[in-house]
Amino acid sequence: MKPNVPWWQRGSIRISIVLVLLILVGGAGVGIYYTQAPPEQPIPFPHNFHVGIGAECMYCHTGAATGPSAGLPTTNKCWGCHQQLEPRNENLKLVASFAENEESIPWVPVALQPDFVKFNHQPHITAGVSCETCHGDVASMTVAEPQPRHNMGWCLDCHQKMSTPEDFVRLSDCATCHY
Amino acid sequence: MAELLKEQEETQKWGMVIDMDICSGCQACVTACSMENNVPFVGEDEMAYGRGLQWMRIRRYWEGEYPEVTPTHQPMLCQQCGSAPCEPVCPTFASVHSQEEQINVQVYNRCIGTRYCANNCPFSARVFNWFDYETPAPMNSYLNPDVSVRRRGIMEKCTFCVQRIVHGRQQAAAEGREVEDGDIVPACAQACPTDAIVFGDLSDPESKVSKMSRSDRAFKELEELGTQPKVIYLKGGKSYGG
Repeated sequence: MKPNVPWWQRGSIRISIVLVLLILVGGAGVGIYYTQAPPEQPIPFPHNFHVGIGAECMYCHTGAATGPSAGLPTTNKCWGCHQQLEPRNENLKLVASFAENEESIPWVPVALQPDFVKFNHQPHITAGVSCETCHGDVASMTVAEPQPRHNMGWCLDCHQKMSTPEDFVRLSDCATCHY
Repeated sequence: MAELLKEQEETQKWGMVIDMDICSGCQACVTACSMENNVPFVGEDEMAYGRGLQWMRIRRYWEGEYPEVTPTHQPMLCQQCGSAPCEPVCPTFASVHSQEEQINVQVYNRCIGTRYCANNCPFSARVFNWFDYETPAPMNSYLNPDVSVRRRGIMEKCTFCVQRIVHGRQQAAAEGREVEDGDIVPACAQACPTDAIVFGDLSDPESKVSKMSRSDRAFKELEELGTQPKVIYLKGGKSYGG
């Protein structure tokens, strides 16, 4: 004889529902964690220290003022200063070994746009937007951290605030960023 | 109606003039367009099935009645209509009019591939990605980083090389000047060996393209449909040199 309990009170069904929910919530959690966590870098570059001793962003990320991509520094850029310093710790020895072998440091880019978004640093720098506006307070970070919620609404919000209504026609045009 | 036409005159922006009297039909524009815009070459078989991917094509047609027929040709591309038939039919607003550039832009992310726009285009200027075409190495290095690589299942078409328009404007702004006539040259106009294709700002009456569009030989393709094309063809009565 079948037990006279409704289906939602059966143990097996309840356990499987809980398991499915756990997998979904866990998967979402892991997914969010991996997209928001800073990627592992070959050398955990201390931005805060370098900004603290007075290095400008554009000393290393040279392309920002002139082109679409700000760029990541070459080994020679690091070595230009660091060859004059005693390698005090493991990371600095790593820089020295990259320079001796004439290899480029395989930096992992953090601030990435999707393929269909064509972002250009140069007009933003010309308009006087500071680096921190989009990249966060890098002066207090060691490795660069990805900034959350860099989506189209966020771009458009800023374009609207920073421009006149006439300019916003151009700055909200699809073809300005997508082609 | 006059007011309406006047308003459209005011909003006109980018335009193109194609001189069919000096066009030799060499297809350099077609090749340059495909290379600039990451349009894959699909091969003979797919072309025969009507699945060709070309943003620009040389249309061949016959003139005259038999037996006095002559083959002739016309470069055909998206006419960037001021009142475009492709735009109102898109259910996802993927085909939209750019207020700033006054061209029709295709937003690839929104497109779900209903192909309604292509069916409504009187110029057959839109092409559909039926398949993903792999670009074999080392040809993948030829892909233009300024243009999205489209995947299958979406509609695409000539953009008047909007990446070059944006770049030209940013370049001019960086140099602290206005965009000048001739700053912005789309790939087809750049490649044309006879300079039959001229691109420029139609809003500026002094630009080269505006002057050429006022020529006696000027006509617009299917003008009677009222789509207000931004591409103007020049063709005379074959009485060359008077």
